[in-house]
Amino acid sequence: MLIAPVAFVAHAQVQHSVNEENGLQKWHFIEGDIEIELVQRLPDQSRALFMNHEFSRDVIEDLALSCMTQTIIRNSGKSGSGQAVSIDLTQWRMQHNGKTSGIKLKEQWLASWSDEQASPAAKLVIRWGLFPTQQEYLPDDYNWGLTTFGIPPGSVFDLEVSWQEGGKPRSGKISNIVCAPDVDKLK
Amino acid sequence: MTVMKTWQGLVVLLAVLTGAAHAEQNMTAIPGKIMAPDFALQDTGGKTHRLSDYRGKPVIINFWTTWCPPCREELPSMNRAWHLLEKEGIAMLALNMGEDEDTIFIFSADYPTDFPILMDQSGEVIEQWPVKGLPTTYVIAPDGTIAYRAIGSREWDDKALLDAVRALK
Repeated sequence: MLIAPVAFVAHAQVQHSVNEENGLQKWHFIEGDIEIELVQRLPDQSRALFMNHEFSRDVIEDLALSCMTQTIIRNSGKSGSGQAVSIDLTQWRMQHNGKTSGIKLKEQWLASWSDEQASPAAKLVIRWGLFPTQQEYLPDDYNWGLTTFGIPPGSVFDLEVSWQEGGKPRSGKISNIVCAPDVDKLK
Repeated sequence: MTVMKTWQGLVVLLAVLTGAAHAEQNMTAIPGKIMAPDFALQDTGGKTHRLSDYRGKPVIINFWTTWCPPCREELPSMNRAWHLLEKEGIAMLALNMGEDEDTIFIFSADYPTDFPILMDQSGEVIEQWPVKGLPTTYVIAPDGTIAYRAIGSREWDDKALLDAVRALK
């Protein structure tokens, strides 16, 4: 008889904060050896980044309005076990407007564009700028990247995150994440 | 009792702050003597660097871009580390991914570096390495094998990190 591993659902600590200088919100999930930080990114910040590369205007708008966060995932090594933490973003789930879906991954973006919409050089920015879909972190390793959720600016959603710690499946939830508003909503 | 609790709190706070100020900087040792993929890339001055030309000395190889915040964060400490290591026969190469000389030149006004910046404009070299995200740094042993890996930024002038590199000589 096969016994499927049961994911340990964490009662994680989620710290929510607002940057006093720029008003951007941050969610910091801490559980076991993993730390996940999501920081709002204004659509204009994304426009500024992608306009410096060879993307078409429609692609820049699609990216800018896709609820992009700056994401940091870290193996803090706090447990002292020295065990690896691994993530697979294809397994993360978001709940928005009563629907459950996956997050929008770099592979989906890259497959959706012609060379006219995004040059090979521009695609490199997505290949290396968006968060790696799968990655393993040993203690003290961390990675930075952009994450897109594919919903409009100002949307609110819950995110179920999952990871493996020392080979064991774990999961947790970050509730009420708010996508940064677009400029017209800031006035 | 209240005074005692306050003192205990201060001691804990001091321990946390001291730990944060002297946080140990670690790299992951890579077992199995895996050969580092060779490359030939031009630096921003037009000189071609082959990794195999550095055989016989430890080499620190950093993959980065100008638009990656943690890459920018670690560049000053890398530059300080290079000034310490240069005289000791240890090489440091920063491989910029996907950008041209002009972009790097403008960037270097804010983040000056004295070690070679190599340009992997097509991204072909980085694809040969087991890099998942930026920045990632490898330390190559004198025999050309990958000795250490660090994902994410580090304080590269940290003594423990540099001593680990020096021990490879």
